Amino acid sequence: MEDSRIIELYWKRSSDAITQSKEKYGSYCFAVANNILGNTEDSEECVNDTWFHAWNAMPPHRPDSLRMFFAKITRRVSFDRFKLLSAKKRGGGEIAAVLDELAECIAAETDIENELIAKELGESIRLFVRSLPARESDIFLRRYFFTEPIERIVSRYGLTSNNTAVILSRTRSRLKDHLIKEGYLDE
Amino acid sequence: MNRKDLYEAIGQADSDMLERSEKDKKKEKSRRTRWAAAVAAVLVIAVISAIALNPHNAPLVTTAYAVSEAAYPKMAPYPSEDAPSFDRDYDAWWESVQAQRREQGYADGLEPFFASGIRQFLSGSDTENRACSPLNIYMALGMLAELTGGGSRQQILDLLGADSIEALRSQAGDVWNAHYRDDGATTSILASSLWLNQNISFVQSTLDTLSDTYYASSFQGEMGSEGFNDALRAWLNEQTGGTLKEQTEGISLDSRTVLALASTLYFQARWQDEFNKNRTEAGTFYSAAGDETCDFMHSSGSGTYYWGERFGAVTKNLSNGGGTVLFILPDEGITAEDLLSDDEAMNFILSRDEWENTKHLIINLALPKFDITSQMDLNEGLKALGITDVFDSGMSDFTPMTTDTDGIFVSKTQHDVRVVIDEEGVTASAYTLMTEAGAGMPPSEEMDFVLDRPFLFVLDSYDGLPLFAGIVNQP
Repeated sequence: MEDSRIIELYWKRSSDAITQSKEKYGSYCFAVANNILGNTEDSEECVNDTWFHAWNAMPPHRPDSLRMFFAKITRRVSFDRFKLLSAKKRGGGEIAAVLDELAECIAAETDIENELIAKELGESIRLFVRSLPARESDIFLRRYFFTEPIERIVSRYGLTSNNTAVILSRTRSRLKDHLIKEGYLDE
Repeated sequence: MNRKDLYEAIGQADSDMLERSEKDKKKEKSRRTRWAAAVAAVLVIAVISAIALNPHNAPLVTTAYAVSEAAYPKMAPYPSEDAPSFDRDYDAWWESVQAQRREQGYADGLEPFFASGIRQFLSGSDTENRACSPLNIYMALGMLAELTGGGSRQQILDLLGADSIEALRSQAGDVWNAHYRDDGATTSILASSLWLNQNISFVQSTLDTLSDTYYASSFQGEMGSEGFNDALRAWLNEQTGGTLKEQTEGISLDSRTVLALASTLYFQARWQDEFNKNRTEAGTFYSAAGDETCDFMHSSGSGTYYWGERFGAVTKNLSNGGGTVLFILPDEGITAEDLLSDDEAMNFILSRDEWENTKHLIINLALPKFDITSQMDLNEGLKALGITDVFDSGMSDFTPMTTDTDGIFVSKTQHDVRVVIDEEGVTASAYTLMTEAGAGMPPSEEMDFVLDRPFLFVLDSYDGLPLFAGIVNQP
């Protein structure tokens, strides 16, 4: 079924919306969740939660890209699940390595208490990703948005593992510079 | 700020950027962790279209020589993975690939021609194999349109869906460039040449257009002479990597030929996901011509299964953005030929990206190795598609080509195709053998897709245009 028709079903509050979403994007969302959680049961639960969140968001929301809309929800829900599980020392897919890499961009870790600052940070990173050359931004997003293992990125772009690691490292370094320039980090 | 904040903030990336990174999904290898054996699949395809134009009467003599040879765009080679300069080399390669790409929509309007062409030229195969290159035929017809005028040209423009010769020229130039790839890893060249009778004077501006738009080389000599025929065969063999030698041996030009137009499409690429040679085993292929034993290659991995009322299909990607091969298996009781006249199947072939009946699951693919050759004269097929005047000396108009002689007509449109699909021929050292960590597999669904009866295949370029299409009746 076309995405626009699935969105229409959500707007009409038809339960077919979830059936159709599951049919078309179930496996896809599972992949997104499983990259983060590395656990079938948890991932499947997060995918089910995705439809619930989508149901609450549409209406009023009408996403331009339904697939990415679901990807973002699944990622958020799965990461929340990860945080919960990691407190209990359970589970974890590729996410632990991804977070370790991101820690390199930050000098000293503190907590962001202010929701507004968190939102601004998101906007700042959005612009940072837009400023990257296509290949760098694609690889950056595969790793830090989709939480994909390096091997998969290697396969996707026909690179070597070493080369992919170098590109990611270079991009992290640029991100750090960007965060300093934007005032999120001290030099 | 901590690492988790940063990870969450990346979640606000724009959807279009995320989608762009998804677009390479086609190239994604999707297989469970398994170090593959050191083999890679290779796909070698070549096609020749030769159109010979003959007058009713015309005397000729002398030796052959090249008037001009097309200079193709230079591409940076796909870099060696082990080179210290890989990063820089990769960027150079990527840039040269991007330079060949064209604005989205450049090929809009060609679908009806591709649909009718595939239907026309693959029909009637009976129990034989049949293959054609819709893109090659398009280029050959584009050049023929440049050589013709009046109703002869109009019939070609109508078939190709072009409003004017200028529109066709512009689109053909884009098609040529978008499909050109010669980077050491993938070879895809739409090569063309003109073989000119030395006793005829040709309109130079027309030859220039063919050279500029179609990258056509020109040769002039004595039609029917051994030397000129040898030169033509040598050119064809060179352009097709020697893969069609058996077919080109029989090619010769009649002494009355005014001009012969030859276009080739040589395509060679590796599978993104190579077949493991150790898993290749003999199996039975059930054909109308009788059951036969052949080697089946096997692969397993997550992928998309497509289906229609009367068929199921899977795709297999080529590396480095080389394109995709589509394997379409008719349902039991339906023949591959039936699917040619099935609008749904044709819609699927030409607009797979928008197909609704898809499911992502684990696919256990069994594909017979095949090496098929197909030879046909397109004359009758083209006439059925509405191109009639150029075949009739009383109706044809070749004045844009020459005014030296009249009564010129197209005597022959030979279209030879060879498609070889297997898992051999390339050492793995030049390329990365890729592995997959097993994450992202769909939950539990799995299916076998066994191509053990006649099936259709279509080789799409990276942007979805049919480079080759065929029916495999006997692998």
